[in-house]
Amino acid sequence: MPFAQALWESLVGDSPLVLPVLFLWLTGTLMLWPLDSWLLKRMPKERWSFITAVILIVTCWFVINAPNAIGFADMFRVDGVTKGFQIICIGAGVFTTALGHKQFDALKEHTAEYYALILFSISGMLLLVGATDLVSMFFALELMSLCIYILVGYLRTQERSVEAGIKYFLLGAFSSGILLFGISLLFAATGGTTTNLERLGQAIALAPGNHDLLVFSGVLMVLIGFAFKVAAVPFHMWSPDVYEGAPTPVTAFLSMAPKAAALAAFLRVFGAGFHSVSENWIAPLSFIAAASMILGNIAALRQQSIKRMLAYSSIAHVGYMLLGILSMDTQAGTQAVWFYMTTYLFMQAGAFAVVIHLQGVEEGERIEDFRGLGKRHPLLAFAMMVFMLSLAGIPPLLGFFSKFYLFRLAIIEGFVTLTVIALLTSVIAAYYYLNVVAQMYFKEPDEKELGRMGICTSTVVTVCSAVLLVGTAFGPWIMKWVGKIL
Amino acid sequence: MPMIPWFKNLPLWVTAVPLLGALLLLFIPKAKRRLLELGAFSIAILDFILSIPLWFQYDRTTSAVQWVTEMDWIPSIGVKFSIGMDGISLVLFMLTTFIGAIAVWCSFSAITERFKEFYIWVLVMQFTMLGVFICQDMFLFYLFWEIMLVPMYFLIAIWGGPQKLYAAIKLFLYTLSGGVLMLVGILAIYFLQYKTTGVYDLSIASFHNMAGAIAAQSQTFQVLLCLAFFIAFAIKVPMFPFHTWLPDAHVQAPTAGSVILAGILLKMGTYGFVRFMLPIFPNILPTLMPCFLTLTIIGIVYGALVAMIQKDMKKLVAYSSVSHLGMCMLGLFALNPNGIMGAMFQMINHGISTSGLFLIVGIVYERRHVRQIADFGGLSKTMPIYATVFMILTMSSIGLPGLNGFIGEFAILQGAFQAQPWWAVVATSGIILGAAYMLWLYQRVMFGPIDDINTPMKDLNAREIGYFAPLVVAAFWIGLMPSPIMNVLQKPIENLVMQVNPDFYKGQDLEKNKAEAARLGIRAMEAAPHAHDDNDHGDEVGNGGQ
Repeated sequence: MPFAQALWESLVGDSPLVLPVLFLWLTGTLMLWPLDSWLLKRMPKERWSFITAVILIVTCWFVINAPNAIGFADMFRVDGVTKGFQIICIGAGVFTTALGHKQFDALKEHTAEYYALILFSISGMLLLVGATDLVSMFFALELMSLCIYILVGYLRTQERSVEAGIKYFLLGAFSSGILLFGISLLFAATGGTTTNLERLGQAIALAPGNHDLLVFSGVLMVLIGFAFKVAAVPFHMWSPDVYEGAPTPVTAFLSMAPKAAALAAFLRVFGAGFHSVSENWIAPLSFIAAASMILGNIAALRQQSIKRMLAYSSIAHVGYMLLGILSMDTQAGTQAVWFYMTTYLFMQAGAFAVVIHLQGVEEGERIEDFRGLGKRHPLLAFAMMVFMLSLAGIPPLLGFFSKFYLFRLAIIEGFVTLTVIALLTSVIAAYYYLNVVAQMYFKEPDEKELGRMGICTSTVVTVCSAVLLVGTAFGPWIMKWVGKIL
Repeated sequence: MPMIPWFKNLPLWVTAVPLLGALLLLFIPKAKRRLLELGAFSIAILDFILSIPLWFQYDRTTSAVQWVTEMDWIPSIGVKFSIGMDGISLVLFMLTTFIGAIAVWCSFSAITERFKEFYIWVLVMQFTMLGVFICQDMFLFYLFWEIMLVPMYFLIAIWGGPQKLYAAIKLFLYTLSGGVLMLVGILAIYFLQYKTTGVYDLSIASFHNMAGAIAAQSQTFQVLLCLAFFIAFAIKVPMFPFHTWLPDAHVQAPTAGSVILAGILLKMGTYGFVRFMLPIFPNILPTLMPCFLTLTIIGIVYGALVAMIQKDMKKLVAYSSVSHLGMCMLGLFALNPNGIMGAMFQMINHGISTSGLFLIVGIVYERRHVRQIADFGGLSKTMPIYATVFMILTMSSIGLPGLNGFIGEFAILQGAFQAQPWWAVVATSGIILGAAYMLWLYQRVMFGPIDDINTPMKDLNAREIGYFAPLVVAAFWIGLMPSPIMNVLQKPIENLVMQVNPDFYKGQDLEKNKAEAARLGIRAMEAAPHAHDDNDHGDEVGNGGQ
């Protein structure tokens, strides 16, 4: 049959575009069966983390070498933006694997599923950042989210982990429904012709006047769906509980990878797709951005648990990054968001590495646990100080530079009020980040013994703090590089 | 003056030395207290000695920025690594290296724990402060401006008094919030510049050139932009009502921290006014001036009145800073050469005399671990040298002719009078109150009966005399022979007044004016280049006083 043949040819012909995804699916599946039962007899299960990291690095190589093209009936596109965000997601995966192996290796349960789920969810992200059609985007989003729901509830003997998983799942399913409803409304507004972002954008701009409400509610619902995924106020309610309940390595993963992927999709949908109807979403998105910055930072002030504090602060950081999505200059906006997200990856990975190390294998994550770290472990404390000051945006750390770049864009685009809010709330942020620094340096340590740092944790901490410390000095190279790939 | 090639980058070296020194200190073991102290001190002294040639190299005949070093840093957004100094920067730069060495020296006995960290932070602090004065690029300026907070935060929060955490975070957040507003202002001008000229350029010179373009914008825009910068600098100065962090920070900080804070950090704010506010916003300043001046004058009087009722010596000196810096702001807002010259002098004088007073408080605090005025009395009987130094610094602070304080205050009043006589009238009350609280403090601490508990207090030792001596010498030197400093400041200030208040020179020929003044035997604040040929210092002062 010619149709079947055409379908087959297009699938095979376009497969290089998704080679990294296919590779992840293959290795992930093999990992679950038969390798798990077969290999487990022959090797200690500690090897899994190493294998996962190798798989991810190979995937990264595939990503870099993928051809730049559009395929699968215009549903998936590989370009600099796709690759840039895919690399962030993979990097987050590598960091998570390195950070979490100690805790997960100590579990009695099988851990192969944990690593396989990370691989699967990353495959979803890789698809999500390249999706150029609302349907493929939704599919990828669900693939990513489903894996993460399970990861959050992975410690099934622990009540709060399960609770977090269920909570995330229920709210996530709800938001997916809203997103899907929004997509269908937009589909209707175009007269049922297309869901491809580019064509959809043109079609809804030309839609007849009586469809205005349809377009508006459709865009708004898609916006809500994405705002939920990136945990922006007022759709952030799940995030502190989930962050706190999830196993800490998963929390680290959650705060980096899905955010990057969802932001990339956000950029594609609102930058490329809904650009033509921007009057429909500029105001709501500005509100969401401002609310995220204000509420995220204020709520973080009162937190006792460092995980909750980082959860609220990540809400605020998303608020900052939404400034880049608001930018009408899509390319500059993408660059700024990508750069911020990359910096954020290093800050967050480093901070979580320290948290996980302090926590050991048990639970214990109060900010007070940092007391006297400066005396107990000067180098680790110094690194943590770098992460905190960088998150607070204090120069000369890279966190300042990426903020500067983002805010510069926002001012150029005319969002002065939002930028002022962003900057003033970043002053609030300085308070709670400095609180951690104060605990480390100005309080007397308690007698708790610190375990030895594993090679993985120390590598992550060293790499992240080194990048943040010297990053600003290499501004020209960074800017040139960002300009080239995105 | 010929420039030796190696010297061309001297300011850069002077700035880098403390940072390199701090890195060096990292390798000294924690327990070697003596080595750490001497190491830090020799780095600070080396830095000061290195900065002395700058004074002689500086070309006094021009207002141009000198020792310019410029490299592209991040060309895509117009950020350059560009440094250089004019006379205004140079004076404060020298003050920083001078006070920096004293701050290290005075800590030898005061700091009894975590020495290594302490000296590293002090040196890093010095690096960032020098950086603020030499940079010629807004990005770089903002960078140094903000980095500076981190060492200060640590200095107060580790080695401070009982409320140290509160004071440190308050200082940090206050200054940071001002800083981010300034960042918005910088970005707004940066963007406006792109709209009008089509290039992204963050150099300070290009920002000065934007004055015209800013003046063409709407009134609201100008006011908001001006306020963004004003608040940033007003917090740092600090001006009323943004001053509340200052007493907390000063009272809690260790002596060295207070010395740096009073001596240099507060000058960042006034420097910001001189360098940015005045030249960038000449158009909108007159509109906002009544508001600024009201705050300034409230600051002068309020600071003095509050200082008067303080029971804590350190707090008293801290509030006196609010008052003194109010005087300084008054001079700047007069927008004429005399006022600005006086303000510059006031900055230097405040750096010398208030730092000295904090050291004075530090001496008794080290010996008794209390600072309440009521705990002391009659100290002059057992501590004669201390009493003498205290007297000199008090006199310098209240502006006795012959000491440094007088020169600044006189010039400020002169400038203020030229601009608007009643400002000078109100400001004078600040000076009178200043004399009152300082002398009253002196009287209560130094005279009267002495308690048994205070009797064994030892007089200054050699090291303490060592670090007071340069301050006392500087106080006399500036008081008796201000013209060398005036010569350095002369051209940059004329240039500044041309930028901010061109009307001042309208219809008057500068040279003719000077000739006229010379004919009348008034050398006044114009400080002709041949002024220091004159050997008769007493005459100098007399003329300065008109």
